[in-house]
Amino acid sequence: MKRGHLSAALFFTAAAVLAADPPAGTPVSFLACPVARDTGPDTDLCFFAEYEGNRYALVNPPDWGVPQLKHRVLVEGRVKEGPGLCGAIPIEGRASVIAEIDENCNLILPFDDVIKGAAGGVFNSGTPQQRAFAQDLARRVALDPNLSVEPAIADPAPAPLPTPPFEQRTLVIIYPFDSDRGSGPDMVKLKDLVTFIKVANARSVRVVGFRATSRLSSGSDITEGQQIAENRATKIASILGGLGVNAKLVHVNWQARAIDGNGDGDWRNRKVEITVEP
Amino acid sequence: MMQLGFESKRGAMVFAAVTLMCVCVAGMVLSADTYDAADAWWKPGDQRLMPASAEYQDALGRVRVVNANGPVATKGHAFFTALGSNGRACVTCHQPSNGMGLSAETIRRRWDQTGGTDPLFAAVDGSNCPNLQQADRKSHSLLLDRGLFRVFLPWPPRAADGSALQPEFTIEVVRDPTGCNTDPAYGLNSKTPSISVYRRPRPVANLKYLLELPHGVPPSEFLFYNDKSLLPRNPETGGFASLQLMSDGRDLTPKIQARDAAKNHLQTIAALSDKQLAQIESFETQVYAAQAFDNVAGDLTGAGSPPGLGPEALEKGAPARLGNNPINRIFGSFAMWQSLQPPAAGADQTRALMFRDSAARGADIFYLRRFLINDVGKYNDKGLGNPFKRSCGSGCHNTLLMGMDLAPGYMDLGLNNLPWANARPDLPLFKVVCNSSAAPQSYLGRVIYTHDPARGLITGKCADVGASMTQQSRSLAARAPYFMNGSAANLRELVDFYDRRFNIGYSEAEKVDLVNFLGVL
Repeated sequence: MKRGHLSAALFFTAAAVLAADPPAGTPVSFLACPVARDTGPDTDLCFFAEYEGNRYALVNPPDWGVPQLKHRVLVEGRVKEGPGLCGAIPIEGRASVIAEIDENCNLILPFDDVIKGAAGGVFNSGTPQQRAFAQDLARRVALDPNLSVEPAIADPAPAPLPTPPFEQRTLVIIYPFDSDRGSGPDMVKLKDLVTFIKVANARSVRVVGFRATSRLSSGSDITEGQQIAENRATKIASILGGLGVNAKLVHVNWQARAIDGNGDGDWRNRKVEITVEP
Repeated sequence: MMQLGFESKRGAMVFAAVTLMCVCVAGMVLSADTYDAADAWWKPGDQRLMPASAEYQDALGRVRVVNANGPVATKGHAFFTALGSNGRACVTCHQPSNGMGLSAETIRRRWDQTGGTDPLFAAVDGSNCPNLQQADRKSHSLLLDRGLFRVFLPWPPRAADGSALQPEFTIEVVRDPTGCNTDPAYGLNSKTPSISVYRRPRPVANLKYLLELPHGVPPSEFLFYNDKSLLPRNPETGGFASLQLMSDGRDLTPKIQARDAAKNHLQTIAALSDKQLAQIESFETQVYAAQAFDNVAGDLTGAGSPPGLGPEALEKGAPARLGNNPINRIFGSFAMWQSLQPPAAGADQTRALMFRDSAARGADIFYLRRFLINDVGKYNDKGLGNPFKRSCGSGCHNTLLMGMDLAPGYMDLGLNNLPWANARPDLPLFKVVCNSSAAPQSYLGRVIYTHDPARGLITGKCADVGASMTQQSRSLAARAPYFMNGSAANLRELVDFYDRRFNIGYSEAEKVDLVNFLGVL
């Protein structure tokens, strides 16, 4: 299991590029096989995908967007300024793993001793308090190895309770293509929203699910399934109820018609909006 | 009853009372009662006092079982008393001498001692199928050879409230050497359609690590890691349940498991009383088990030993914590066993030090040696990526002191589903065909050949077919064979499975180190 939160955005690096780099801000939207790259014996793999002669890096996506060999990936984003990662052009956006199997997606590039990854770990993730706790324990374990069975990762301090004045809050949860799986960080935000609902003694919670069409850079469209907007909305409502939100407060709806895409940020339309009225 | 003595399965050494002398010379105090294999079988209804701490001979040394709340009188105790019609008790399949699990070696010994008449071999699940000739050893081959009990589950699956679920897949029997799944009385086409699969009993020890919701992996204290849906509720507390108790996650608490086991394995007529359930739960949640003595390494606990070894470490330890970090290294430091120069003393001492060094290397390999984890359904696809580069410890076996996966979830490691499963002509083979509208199993698709649909038999979901919960890695020496279907007869076969499954390329020396490491847990 991979611990810690992954960034909500995609950040990539350009290095080996097969065609002229598109300028920063250029929207891209395409389906392709991801390619895995080994970045060293003690580091994670990274992924990129090729489209029209360019390699676009798929690094640090939300958890549901981490590419999988044997599956194509829908890449949607804008070319981003900055150094490359994984030997590819950085983009900011989203990646979605397509559920159906594609056996053609099965390429792993061996470690080339040029593109190197960075090892993660307990000393550079988590809250500052958690990192300080781990560093202190490491010092003590060096003196007394018997302490090595003490938990190194302290529970994070509980988030402070929301305080008045309580105003309307909206949480937008973004989804991968044709899926109702939210990301871990978004689900943590949802839990915080539940705390707000309870503390603010909210009058109503409105949950609206959406589905969308993505316009690919090639000009063709792909559209999510008919049921997915409903599935997203009802799943969120179920989680709210499971976390103790009174069902009478929750109004669930969904938009059956897919939101049209224009090829620039269509991923933002695959969503559930949760609006809380205090 | 209180004899000392054991034979090493690793070497040819025989220790007897000399062992106690060595321990005393080393300045250790052997506080636990110690039982040899001959009298270690606990029969239902035995009137004993289960000590606060006792050691039992096993394949590689001795396992120690600790009752944290003090000695337990077994007379009339629900865990130790036959409660159903077949003469079994909970203890029948959760033997203290096997770290509260049950080894195939113990099963075979019991067969030989009783001529197969022990309640352990009850037709309902102690034979390949109840319709077979029960006096024939072959009718119990899965139990005797692999330590497998028949688990019969309804088809279609049922929800916790008993209502039928609409499964996402159809299932047919490709072949079944047991005959049970095609039997008119017990099979898929019987009046009460059910599917028989064959599984190992999990040890009933160290349960606090299995029952506590995970720390440090938000939001997995209330959501499945896999699909970010809600965890089920513990009906007794109203809180969320971890699902770590059983291989398919179907029984959420010790009490629910006890009810289920009493009905299906003990063949009780009446439901267990609240008092009996409370007594079973109270016992199970205070008992700890781990290897405490190795025939080559010697005492595994006390000064100079790795702090994670022995049941006392588990009793004191913090449950449900991530251990996959350079401080915890899953089972704590083994540095005190590393690279010790053999003294000029006797050969046994030299051998012990060399073994400890090997086990310490094994701990390093377990925690540090990365490989590509690929095509594991419900694992690589839960947001980790495919492939995902991790070690044994930093990947699926990351729970501090216990070595199972901390996040509530299950995975298709390749134990049950083809093409990864070991060749198992002794097991049923099913063909699962998923609906076109169902989400496919991420790496096998919608047509899956499996020996055990596992979690899929509980949820009815295509993507769950063959997936199971990882399990704790303690007291391994006392409870071979391994994996939920007994595919690995010993620790070497366990290591070989992973080496093959993930194309790791362990050297022979590395395999030996890993086996030595796992054997002291």
